[in-house]
Amino acid sequence: MEKKQSGSPPSLIDSTVVPGDVVLDLSSMTNQTIMLGGGLRQDCDAISVMKAGTLRFSKPNKYWVESSQKRYTPCVEDTVLGIVVDSKADNFLIDIKGPVLAFLPVLAFEGGTRRNIPKFEVGTLLYLRVVKANFGMNPELSCTDASGKAAEFGPLKDGYMFETSTGLSRKLLSSPTCPVLEALGKKLSFEIAVGLNGRVWVNAATPDTIVVVANAIMNSESLSGAQQIIMVEHLLKNIQ
Amino acid sequence: MEGRLANAWRLTANDKSFIRTALLSEIRIDGRKPYEYRKIVVKFGREDGSSEVQLGQTRVMGIVTAQLVQPYRDRPKEGILSIFTEVSPMADPSFEPGHPGELAVELGRIIDRGLRESKAVDTESLCVLAGKFVWAIRIDLHILDNGGNLVDAANIAALAALLTFRRPECSLGGEDGQEVIVHPPEIREPLPLIVHHLPIAITFGFFSNDSILVIDPTHNEEAVMGGRMTTTVNANGDICAIQKAGGEGVPQRVIMQCLQLATAKAAGITKQIKEAVEVYNTERALRKIKRHPTSTGVNVKERQDQSVGK
Repeated sequence: MEKKQSGSPPSLIDSTVVPGDVVLDLSSMTNQTIMLGGGLRQDCDAISVMKAGTLRFSKPNKYWVESSQKRYTPCVEDTVLGIVVDSKADNFLIDIKGPVLAFLPVLAFEGGTRRNIPKFEVGTLLYLRVVKANFGMNPELSCTDASGKAAEFGPLKDGYMFETSTGLSRKLLSSPTCPVLEALGKKLSFEIAVGLNGRVWVNAATPDTIVVVANAIMNSESLSGAQQIIMVEHLLKNIQ
Repeated sequence: MEGRLANAWRLTANDKSFIRTALLSEIRIDGRKPYEYRKIVVKFGREDGSSEVQLGQTRVMGIVTAQLVQPYRDRPKEGILSIFTEVSPMADPSFEPGHPGELAVELGRIIDRGLRESKAVDTESLCVLAGKFVWAIRIDLHILDNGGNLVDAANIAALAALLTFRRPECSLGGEDGQEVIVHPPEIREPLPLIVHHLPIAITFGFFSNDSILVIDPTHNEEAVMGGRMTTTVNANGDICAIQKAGGEGVPQRVIMQCLQLATAKAAGITKQIKEAVEVYNTERALRKIKRHPTSTGVNVKERQDQSVGK
């Protein structure tokens, strides 16, 4: 049985890879430090893929596999949208679409003390930051940024929240601005919060703007940039 | 305990109030108007009597099978029709594996009532030998994905499967004419079931503010709505069944409005199901034509000379 060796690593970058593909042959590269991100594993002299997705490379030496799922794996420093499920003495229990519920300490707010613990009802939507995410443990969240300021974190009022895949949330947060958001922003005014865990919240002045924005984003997942712009124009024409 | 909680689907407080306020301006979250149905796609499998229906995100598969059994004692000349529903947690995290929940049982009952009480399927033609052998038709409905409004999708799946099902032909034989011989499909073409009309289930959702009503609620709308009603009507305007189990009270004129809307929608859906069944039947007939892989012209005179020459 012939083992397919990828002779030249650059040819697999930005293309789809599946588990088992060998992307780098270390025997041919000496004295180099390579940093491996998610989805890649070192097998003696070969770097092979563990997760299906697109192989990405960033200078000078970072390789990783980007994939899109419905479920979210909590990572530190991710900004996510969570829903309050329960409140305990020390923590709020938050659902962030991960394998287990996450904890939000009651003091993790700007100027938070035991005297002014916020009261969140079950079903409140919060914009949060992941502080700790270890395998097997409940992740820990916070409503402040690293320096302790509120910085837009906290409860989101009104609007409409819908779920997407993790790949689409990353695309919406990428810079330069995603084509669908740019095309929508030219004609409509709305406010949007994107969680890396596959949740997006939209708010606007009128319900039909919200519905158009939500549906445009949901439809844009599998479309290319140009197709997204055409789709948005089509949707906007229908409501005007 | 926390692990299981993590799997449930949740609706935020924002969404609940947004769905209600948007409905006040007659806007639904997927862009539909209040009386608009989602796109229905009816597909069939290779076997006769298997259908898959997609109603937006909702997917249901229907399989029809038949067996020769003894009839019920009080109905010796009628066949038996039974419906089984299977829901799995793959369709919706709130479904539990194993025993069917309240929703699955209610779903089965609504469809069963629509088909049985309105006598849509002719059960007398299913009798082979009175008192001894009749055909028992079994409809299995598998819920594959719950995007809201399972009843309507499952009903369409059941009807589509019934229309394309073929039962083997059988005749009486033996020494005293009491033995039933079931002919295999290769020998005698199997027969379709006699379906007199198609009872279509149309589900309505009621919202508490200003008695707003929507047709074909999605999953989010079902979590927010105050009450629901399923009316089973056919294209001729006959009401086959109505199911309103609990939920908030609705004035009588709203019920009449629903019935009129339902009759209008039923005509369109009936047409769609019949067209899909037509396409399937044509394909099935074409599959039965056996073609030779290559057809080369044969010179008959030449062959005759050859055989004579030998």
